[in-house]
Amino acid sequence: MEKQHVVITVLGGNRPGVLAGIARIIADANVNIEDISQRLLQDLFALMVITDFAGANCTFEDFQTRMQKAGEDLKVKIFIQHEDVFKFMHRL
Amino acid sequence: MAFSLDEIIETISAVGVETFDIRTITLGISLHTCPDEDVNLCAAKIYEKIMRTAVNLVPTARAIEKKYGIPIVNKRISVTPIAQVGGACKGDTLVPLCKALDRAAEELGVDFIGGFTANIQKGFTRGDQLLVNSIPDALCSTKRVCASVNVASSQAGINMDGVYRMSEIVKESAERTRDRDGIACAKLVIFANQVEDNPFMAGAAHGAGEAEAIIHVGVSGPGVVRAALASSGPLPFGELSELIKKTAFKITRVGELVGREASKMMGIPFGVIDLSLAPTPAAGDSVADILEAMGLERCGCHGTTAALALLNDAVKKGGVMACTYAGGLSGAFIPVTEDASMCRAVSEGVLNIHKLEAMTSVCSVGLDMVAIPGDTTVDVLAGIIADEMAIGVINHKTTACRLIPVPGKKAGEEVDFGGLLGKGPIMDVLRASPAVFVRRGGRIPPPIHSMKN
Repeated sequence: MEKQHVVITVLGGNRPGVLAGIARIIADANVNIEDISQRLLQDLFALMVITDFAGANCTFEDFQTRMQKAGEDLKVKIFIQHEDVFKFMHRL
Repeated sequence: MAFSLDEIIETISAVGVETFDIRTITLGISLHTCPDEDVNLCAAKIYEKIMRTAVNLVPTARAIEKKYGIPIVNKRISVTPIAQVGGACKGDTLVPLCKALDRAAEELGVDFIGGFTANIQKGFTRGDQLLVNSIPDALCSTKRVCASVNVASSQAGINMDGVYRMSEIVKESAERTRDRDGIACAKLVIFANQVEDNPFMAGAAHGAGEAEAIIHVGVSGPGVVRAALASSGPLPFGELSELIKKTAFKITRVGELVGREASKMMGIPFGVIDLSLAPTPAAGDSVADILEAMGLERCGCHGTTAALALLNDAVKKGGVMACTYAGGLSGAFIPVTEDASMCRAVSEGVLNIHKLEAMTSVCSVGLDMVAIPGDTTVDVLAGIIADEMAIGVINHKTTACRLIPVPGKKAGEEVDFGGLLGKGPIMDVLRASPAVFVRRGGRIPPPIHSMKN
């Protein structure tokens, strides 16, 4: 199956459980994590998760909705974007 | 394939903080299959064709927004110049055709529909006469239709009869919407060298050389360019240009992605990207802010024309590498009431209409969204328009006038058109009369360098 890379970016305060909360939703949707990186920019916690959405058991819209809800619960801002937007902007 | 966190955050900041967006997906539709002697039958054919062709436009744009996390602010339609469709209609008005466009736009959920248009640079056809005469009624009885009239070209010269007639139409359209500060004029553009693939309003029309249906994309992002300049320090000009080019490249790439995706989803060919920096009244979404970030105390001071020329050129150079086909107007827009910092420069007395005119010789449009005193005469309006057309004709570029003579208001008073049209001060114009010149009648011949064959 052709891969469908989706980039999940989390920005917000650094507190216990943020990565675990996000990972739980990813696992429940049967989405595979391919790469993770995170950084603290002063007080801001930035997390990037590159996933393969090809085997997901839900629609992209459902996944976005679940993530948005998790973002509200965890008090972080979550962005879910197809990787092409980054490819087009940052790669020749 | 992997991206760095910095690259991801750069993209997210561009949208979230620096107001980057895709300004418009514009679907061009040919109406050459729609003429009819009966204006109501013609209107019915137009309505049916637009509804059939554009049914997926708004849902497609929404799906793309979600997939990539990039806002698509406007969904628009441009159609064949209605003067070319309505010339066959009996009777003396094309307002029913305008209403058909408006109804289709409203039912499809598109923001604006352009193409209530005539090309009169060399003379009037019957359809052109009908259309021009219908403009005040058409603009006052519809919400989403935009009108444009091309009165000049580098090949044909300037049709001064057309310039004068359009000055009368501008005055009449303003008077007819006196209770709303002459807002009908915000939907009316007078062009030299109007392009056939412009996705931006109010000057979009689907030109004679275009396909049956086609998708054009207009990008925007003055805030992204300003942010890049603000964080770069005092660069020499070569490096400044490089920085703008790189930023324009990235912005345009997103437009290319959106255009390709929309084309695939709708099964309609992708036409062009318009490489434009289009401001909005939102804080930070300003072309004047970029010029000031380049080192001008205020937009409009001496040096502004040079700064704008550099900006406009760098945007094109960066953008053209990022897309397969560039087109439309492609450059920096300077619509006064739509750019909050430009309005501030006017209020402070730094930016006047003369400097604006000079600026239009090096950027992509013209005297755009310029509110002027309501008692400006038709003769003076014709003089302003003729000057702007001359800049376009002699320099082989598009220029335009979107002037609003605000009824009952004077220079320095404020107008508020609402939404994307913005608000700002009324700019003063000279009172000395060009009447004898502008009323000579006929056409100013094209320049010698139009003869290239």
